[in-house]
Amino acid sequence: MAPPNRKQKSRFEGGGLVLFTAVREAMEAQRVLKKTGYLVKLVAPPAELRRGCDLAVEINLVEKPGIERLLDHRNVAYLSVIPIKVGTSELLEVVKVTDFGDWLMVKAGNMKLTFDKESGVVVNTSGGGCPDIPYLHAELISKLLTEAPRPRDIGFTLCALMLDHAFEEGCILWQGARQP
Amino acid sequence: MMLIAGTVPVKGLPLTMAKVRAEGESLVIDSHHIPCTQGTGATISAALAATDYLKLEPPQVLVVGDIGKGKGSREIYEYLIQRVGELSPAVLVLHYCLPDMALMRRLCQSIKGCSQRPLMVADAGSMYAAKAAGLATEFDIFTPDAAELAFLADQGATHPAYINRHLFDTDIARLPRLIVDAYRHRNAAKLLLVKGATDYIVRDGDILATIAEPDVPELEAIGGTGDSVTGLVSAFSYIGLELHEAAIIAAKTNRMAGKFASVTPAAGVRQIIGQFPSVFREYLCHWSGVCHVEGGNYHD
Repeated sequence: MAPPNRKQKSRFEGGGLVLFTAVREAMEAQRVLKKTGYLVKLVAPPAELRRGCDLAVEINLVEKPGIERLLDHRNVAYLSVIPIKVGTSELLEVVKVTDFGDWLMVKAGNMKLTFDKESGVVVNTSGGGCPDIPYLHAELISKLLTEAPRPRDIGFTLCALMLDHAFEEGCILWQGARQP
Repeated sequence: MMLIAGTVPVKGLPLTMAKVRAEGESLVIDSHHIPCTQGTGATISAALAATDYLKLEPPQVLVVGDIGKGKGSREIYEYLIQRVGELSPAVLVLHYCLPDMALMRRLCQSIKGCSQRPLMVADAGSMYAAKAAGLATEFDIFTPDAAELAFLADQGATHPAYINRHLFDTDIARLPRLIVDAYRHRNAAKLLLVKGATDYIVRDGDILATIAEPDVPELEAIGGTGDSVTGLVSAFSYIGLELHEAAIIAAKTNRMAGKFASVTPAAGVRQIIGQFPSVFREYLCHWSGVCHVEGGNYHD
């Protein structure tokens, strides 16, 4: 089934900003991101968020990891990616661990990763709601923590970034438990 | 019609709308095979298990391949924006999609054009978009877990990755406080089914029921167990149960199925959904009063 023709142009409402030190970098980033298919817009950052030049790129904040990876790959320099809403909390870094006997579950934000304590094999991922999460679930299950792809490397969204925090903590816990 | 819309992790799957059926361990949608795993696939499978048992028409589903790049998600939004008026589903379930506030805003506007307003259910990325866009009150049912409830309670957060640390640290005893805050900020649907060690059924801010038995803590680790609850509550709402009754039965069914399957944290959601018919046979009449099913008509 072909998607319907887009008659009405979407008003973009992304919730995130990429900040730069130079206007030229902002324009280059916009070009690279647009060409890859991201919906983006050149905007002036709010005064309280200005950290260098007066031009920023508005993005869908949920797509932060994929956008950062693309800009890094293309060597486009940027300062940071931040939420537009002033007063928004920092990205959540804290993790919680639940011991299920033979398995450990590591929780970061809305994402959970569970691995076998003995073998280090990922047995489950759960939580989240972005489209890359079911994909990452399929890519991680039954793989060793040391051999599985990092969610941050193959995912695109903030849910993937949270899963990566859980993955990273899982690696630390598993390798720590194996040291004499 | 019950319409379930969401992305699936199948590269290259075009936008497809059709009735769904089960075939072995897959779902078949217009000749496309979709895995019954975490995400929209689990929600569809759970809803289909309920409609099959009740001998009702299967859900209509709108799916597209998307592994996180967002193109498929936008196709779903655009399709619904243009067609939801003519489709006029009785129940509309919005599931795994890249959160997009502007498109969600346009979709909610289009829904106002339906001859009869659908019952609106959102979970996963669609729930994130509805909350971030300030449209939560347009929805009838949200099915958050504890971390997502913290996101609904945090007025400033546009995604659960940005919730305030002290809200993430909230222990289970303080979940009622998060429920109050979510409603105070108008970030909750009319009914919340909060999934966790204890499930909370909340209507307009009032906690109507809590469900903690059977206690199967392993369910939290299993990808898709929240999605299956969403499918169940949608299906039970579709047959006309009161929303809070539908939510209570959905929560109980999922827990009991986990117990029936003797799950470990390494189990797959398919093992749990596979137990739904057994749970229905043993408990549905007792829990819901839906006891005899004859050709789609059910009786007390």
